[in-house]
Amino acid sequence: MTTATVAGSAARNERMERFVYDDAVVRLFLLATLVWGLVGMLVGIVIALELANPVFNLGLPWISFGRLRPLHTNAVIFAFAGNAIFTGVYYSTQRLLKARMWSDGLSRLHFWGWQAIIVAAALTLPLGITQSKEYAELEWPIDVAIALVWVVFSVNVFGTIVRRRERHLYVAIWFYIATLVAIAVLHIFNNLVVVAGPFKSYSIYAGVQDAFMQWWYGHNAVAFFLTTPFLGMMYYFLPKAADRPVFSYRLSILHFWTLVFLYIWAGPHHLHYTALPAWASTLGMLFSVMLWMPSWGGMVNGLLTLRGAWHKVTEDPVLKFFVVAITFYGMSTFEGPLLSIKSVNALSHYTDWTIAHVHAGALGWVGFMVFGMVYWLLPRLFQTELWSKRLAEIHFWIATVGILLYVVAIYAAGLTQGLMWRAFDETGRLAYPDFVETTVRLLPMYWVRVLGGVLYIAGMVICGVNALMTWRSGPARYAEPVHEAPALRPLPAEAEAGGFKHAAWHRRWEGLPLTFSVWVAVAVVTASLFEIVPMFLIGSNVPTIQAVHPYTPLELAGRDVYVAEGCNNCHSQMIRPIRAETMRYGEYSKPGEFVYDHPFLWGSRRIGPDLARVGGKYPDLWHVRHMEDPRSTTPQSIMPAYPWLARTPINWSAVERGVAAQVTLGVPYTREQVTGAATLGRAQAKQIAAAIAQQGGPAGLEETELVALVSYLQRLGTDIKKSSTTAAAAMGGERTGR
Amino acid sequence: MKLADVMSAMHFNLFAQVALLIAVAGFATVVVSVFLARNREPFRRASLLPLADDRPVGTPGGRA
Repeated sequence: MTTATVAGSAARNERMERFVYDDAVVRLFLLATLVWGLVGMLVGIVIALELANPVFNLGLPWISFGRLRPLHTNAVIFAFAGNAIFTGVYYSTQRLLKARMWSDGLSRLHFWGWQAIIVAAALTLPLGITQSKEYAELEWPIDVAIALVWVVFSVNVFGTIVRRRERHLYVAIWFYIATLVAIAVLHIFNNLVVVAGPFKSYSIYAGVQDAFMQWWYGHNAVAFFLTTPFLGMMYYFLPKAADRPVFSYRLSILHFWTLVFLYIWAGPHHLHYTALPAWASTLGMLFSVMLWMPSWGGMVNGLLTLRGAWHKVTEDPVLKFFVVAITFYGMSTFEGPLLSIKSVNALSHYTDWTIAHVHAGALGWVGFMVFGMVYWLLPRLFQTELWSKRLAEIHFWIATVGILLYVVAIYAAGLTQGLMWRAFDETGRLAYPDFVETTVRLLPMYWVRVLGGVLYIAGMVICGVNALMTWRSGPARYAEPVHEAPALRPLPAEAEAGGFKHAAWHRRWEGLPLTFSVWVAVAVVTASLFEIVPMFLIGSNVPTIQAVHPYTPLELAGRDVYVAEGCNNCHSQMIRPIRAETMRYGEYSKPGEFVYDHPFLWGSRRIGPDLARVGGKYPDLWHVRHMEDPRSTTPQSIMPAYPWLARTPINWSAVERGVAAQVTLGVPYTREQVTGAATLGRAQAKQIAAAIAQQGGPAGLEETELVALVSYLQRLGTDIKKSSTTAAAAMGGERTGR
Repeated sequence: MKLADVMSAMHFNLFAQVALLIAVAGFATVVVSVFLARNREPFRRASLLPLADDRPVGTPGGRA
């Protein structure tokens, strides 16, 4: 820390302190943003190609769609957006608080720790090491590392706040505090697991409750990772770029508190018409609709900040990026509540409409905020002129066209898909009973998506070149400008007295980071508890179905394969009580069917058909052929082939650990099933392998993951067809667990 | 009696109604406080913070 106290200005009679900001760590985060952004989007292009033509899966397990899709989402969210957040937070926090970051050591630990986490994610996800929950796929050792690094980040930011020289915490800092608090709560509670090996765990929640927790997390990851920090950055960098203060500081306060309180409730709108209780789903919808107000308040505040400065937008690529970003924020936050309305959601859910919505937000709002910030920071951080303003302009236009191509094509795909799924012919039967008919119709739009993605990433490359050349044209050694500010004075007595006199209480909070943070935490936790407590405590949320019993050890092994291969990224296991769905897939899904599902595997997308009732629909051999070469059973299928499953042996010791972990979770396995998991599994595998051979399939599959997967698929949805007595007989023996 | 029994005996609407009341009360409190005329000047000063944060008083020899 290079702070020196000097004699202050006599005129102001204040003790002045001198200090320098740590911009070196900001430079590191900025470069990491660009590098990981390129990687994450490149993976996005690969999986877009795989959807357009399955040949791009190349028959390799590590790059098959199910494994790469989580890598794409994690890389873009946590590597690209994450590093961008840290860039913006480290730069603006120091300046708004007039203080260097609390600890240079913690700043470096944060930077390298976060990069190590990203590398770990990039290695484990292609290997099929995943928890399967969307945006929370990383396994428990990495989750622990994320929590630790987040603590490091939080301590560093709060330490800086404590040592600040500016009494008032500017609104951007509030948004950062909300991010720190909420992400910690969300990450910890959604990732509570029972460990079943060095890289394997099972969620402590099951079925409906797991789905609820996941989307409480999933939606609020969007809220508190992709929205609040970027809003904080908007409230800082937009006034800087426009050289005028935010249009309405009051509106920013309203924006903040309403967003923090309302957002946390909205998660259940991801589960409309599923087995989630209707009360939770409706509550999620209502709060989502209410979110329109603060979101548009923020958008209007952002755009009106440019009042009197619109002429600058034509000349300045930074402002161009910001204006389009805020416009996309407005559009996405209009569309989000729209999609949360149940009747709209009935059409949009499981389709590409959601994908288009997400990408409008990610490419338009998040991406363009990042690029605007990067172009504003480059000359300041590297202490030279931006290498090419012209290239920045080209980047803007290429990326804008790329986004438009992407979202227009995928909106069209989503609507096409949703309408075809629910289309009936004049006799009242499904107009497109074969699911693949609805997939094939989308392929031209998937190619347009590839084109849009290529344009967007081309813009990213241009940005990278511009950044690299700016970096190279900077000085060999960066100067460290010295800043000066008076030390923080104690709160005035009247503010300490506080109360509601002069409505000073809020301003006091703004100056008291601990109190402020506690109230943010109270808002987040209170809202969460109003949904979580009834969800877990009220028994009628999940009526028991007697015929539902735990998976056999082999089926559990098959379920683990299903998770590892990321099948849930394309196949749902949740039939909604909608006529078009029950006609296509069978009886709608009941909450009680999932009580042993740790984790739940309902999915959020149907690139392939729902599998909730696939058990017994086809012979075992059909599944074997389908996995070896999907085109052999469904000629127009876009599913990747999984030839390696027939070569990969089942890890029986992992199966034993898995069953033991399930018992810890309260799944009522018999003692025989726990102690003899491998023996029972082998016996069932032998039966299935024999049946496959008898049906004319390959012999000798009994020790392979393929047989385990077949056993799991053949089990799906079959419980409720059985009588309770049959199920009880099948289980037999003394129960352990609950 | 367990907490689960108490919760189960309540109607689901109760949770939504209480939550809504809390939300409205919180929102009203924030609205009243931010729109009080006497807060105008402090907020105006606060809004200028990003524009007043980056004026160095010198640039001694730096480090790489």
